[in-house]
Amino acid sequence: MISYQNITKKYGDNIILKNISFQINDNEIFVLVGPSGGGKTTLLKMFNRLVESTSGDIFYNEKNIKDYKIKDLRQEIGYVLQSASLFPNLTVGENITIALEQKKVSKSKRIDRQKQLLRAVGMDPDLYLDRMPNELSGGEQQRVGIIRALAADPPVVLMDEPFYALDPVMRKQLQDLVLNLHHKMGKTILFVTHDMQEAIRMGDRIGVIHAGQLEQVGKPREILQHPATEFVKKFFAGNKMQASLDLESLLKGELGVDPRFYPKTETLPRYHVYSIRDLVKDCSNHPDSLFIAETEFGVFLIEPKRVWNFLLKRVVDND
Amino acid sequence: MIKSLWNIILTEHDQILSTTLVHIKISLISLFIAMAIAVPLAFILKNHKKLAGFTLQLAGIVQTIPSLAILGLLLPFVGIGTVPAIIALVLYAIMPIFQNTYSGLVNIPENLQEAADAFGLSKWKKFQRLELPLAMPMILSGIRIALVMIIGTATLAALIGGGGLGTYIYVGINSNNNTEVLLGAILSAVLALFFSWFLNFISKNKTRTKIGLGIIAICLLIWGASSAYHAMQPQVAEKAEPQEIIIAGKMGSEPDILINMYKELIEKNDPDTKVVLKPNFGGTTFLFRALESDKIDIYPEFTGTVLQTLVKTNQKTGSDPKQVYLEAKNGLKNQYKMTYLQPMQYQNGYALATTKKFANKYHLSKMSDLKRVNKQVKAAFDPDFNNLKDGYPGLKQAYKLNFKNIKTTESSIRYRAIANGDANVVDGYTTDAEIKKYHLVMLEDDKHFFPPYQGSALMKSSFAQRNPKVVRALNKLAGKITTQQMQEMNYLVNVKHDKPAKVAHNFLVEHGLL
Repeated sequence: MISYQNITKKYGDNIILKNISFQINDNEIFVLVGPSGGGKTTLLKMFNRLVESTSGDIFYNEKNIKDYKIKDLRQEIGYVLQSASLFPNLTVGENITIALEQKKVSKSKRIDRQKQLLRAVGMDPDLYLDRMPNELSGGEQQRVGIIRALAADPPVVLMDEPFYALDPVMRKQLQDLVLNLHHKMGKTILFVTHDMQEAIRMGDRIGVIHAGQLEQVGKPREILQHPATEFVKKFFAGNKMQASLDLESLLKGELGVDPRFYPKTETLPRYHVYSIRDLVKDCSNHPDSLFIAETEFGVFLIEPKRVWNFLLKRVVDND
Repeated sequence: MIKSLWNIILTEHDQILSTTLVHIKISLISLFIAMAIAVPLAFILKNHKKLAGFTLQLAGIVQTIPSLAILGLLLPFVGIGTVPAIIALVLYAIMPIFQNTYSGLVNIPENLQEAADAFGLSKWKKFQRLELPLAMPMILSGIRIALVMIIGTATLAALIGGGGLGTYIYVGINSNNNTEVLLGAILSAVLALFFSWFLNFISKNKTRTKIGLGIIAICLLIWGASSAYHAMQPQVAEKAEPQEIIIAGKMGSEPDILINMYKELIEKNDPDTKVVLKPNFGGTTFLFRALESDKIDIYPEFTGTVLQTLVKTNQKTGSDPKQVYLEAKNGLKNQYKMTYLQPMQYQNGYALATTKKFANKYHLSKMSDLKRVNKQVKAAFDPDFNNLKDGYPGLKQAYKLNFKNIKTTESSIRYRAIANGDANVVDGYTTDAEIKKYHLVMLEDDKHFFPPYQGSALMKSSFAQRNPKVVRALNKLAGKITTQQMQEMNYLVNVKHDKPAKVAHNFLVEHGLL
């Protein structure tokens, strides 16, 4: 468990963060969302001590992070940066296991790990292992950035606007990828974004940060239904959903996930879906498990949680 | 020009090679020292902006000091030879290497630094895997700039006895031999281009860098092994021969021939003594200081030069050779506690030379004959000679000359002007090889206008007292060697490219001096 307690950050007379406290539970995706310049990234970087707080403390597993050796602490934490920030002089493979190299893991074990992780994100190791970062597309680079953060199998992963620079299609693919990896590996993820749609899609819980203040913390549904402040209400209402309500655009856009990103989909239940009504019904029958929806325009993996969040947001938007 | 260049290369290739190797050695040693200082310094200072800025300024200031001035400033502290040359070159090379390394390191993108920190990389790991590789192209280009600069500036080493390709340039300038100047300049330019290309080549990609570093490592290994081998050799030899005398000479063939004679005479006289020669060691002041500070034991100097630049005297330099020698000898003894041996016969001073044809036609043998042919003379003079009081203006008064037709030309092409028929009278030095080469007639300075320049060995009095055998050996040359003989020997070395040692030996044998 991670606990931020009364965190304040000042640069000179400038107060960046004002007395912020919140907790992140084990194995949840906690999203800090809010307009740019609000102090979200500063909060995130405090956890691996790239930035120090002016006052207040952060506890990790009941122990103040300042009482950890900084090297030990950082080995507990994976880090995904805004741009992929791969080391341009190292190959894809060397990039992935840089943290293991520091831990003096043997080369053959590192290569095994590189291959395993590349496969997990749908990249062929034979093709990609020895490439240089500049030979990859933006999306591929960020995928490598994500598995680099996971290579040492850290319990906590920090993600700082990881999909900021990607186009919407690629962004959605990578969101799905992270959700899937999280589903399989069960990490505690602290995720920073300014995109409220991304926050709702990704977050088990969301903290809304605005101008150095924590406006509200809660599950997406709670925040959408009961915004605590005028700002939160405006922030989430401001982004009207433009997608029409036909099944095809919903599945191809917001709700469906390409099952190729998910290994072992053959064990999941499969249903024929012909309308939105079918989809809602299947979701309410299986509120907690994934399933495969077979339609006339393709096969999609459905996560009921996401469907509920989506529907809730539509309701709020229409208010 | 090209033909004579080719000639030098054919006859002196051994010496050219060893001179070039000395040049490379000085340059590379300086470069490695500069790298060993500048690269770690930049790494240490990369997080201390102010200190780095200060260091950059300091290095920049050092850069603006003319290299010759640095050599002069270093002289009292480290003397002459290779060491001050290397120190000066290192001072020069630090700036570009430091600057490039520093900016290579600080320009590594913030996000990559952050990523390296966030993944818990140690300082060393971060340096090795991120900072060094990313800064490498900048560092290499800094090294390239430094190396090209060093190879060029290293030619100055010749001025203070450091050797290298500068020797050809300064010897060439001093003896009006453009071919040698060209040889030195071309070789140092070729070296600079080659190393620049090599560094550029290996900085292109990783494989090439590895190959390049491998080649460098092998060369260093061979070099190290061979110098270790050489270092072992003389130790054995030194035990057998207890005394070593160092004799240096100024730039040019004439001092080179003389010191070879000294060597042979001394070693013949006392087989236990070993003489080490340092030909083309530098200019007058450098040699004199080297003698004062016991870096060398003996060098040949001219009487006229002693009075004009070394000994402090109120009188104008006289014209009687004996008088001048005595004055020089006493001055050196009183002011510097030095011993100046009896001079040789020849005089190496200013002279006017003319063609055989012109001399025969008008029956010219002395300078005073010239006033009869004021109208016929087509003179080609060195600009200095033409303007300085002890040059043509003084001569004009002394001999009542009034040449109608005077051209001033660079000293190196005067002799060609007379060979081409563009001139029939030129100024020169009495022992110049060209006088023989172009079959010129030297006109006698019958009114003794020019100060006499007679050569003889100069050493500290304490040295002379300790080594009576050496003094006795060198005194055999007193009153020997005529101007014509010296001319002939210079001709053999400069034009025919005979070895100075061989020319010296032949002379000594021929005249029964051994």
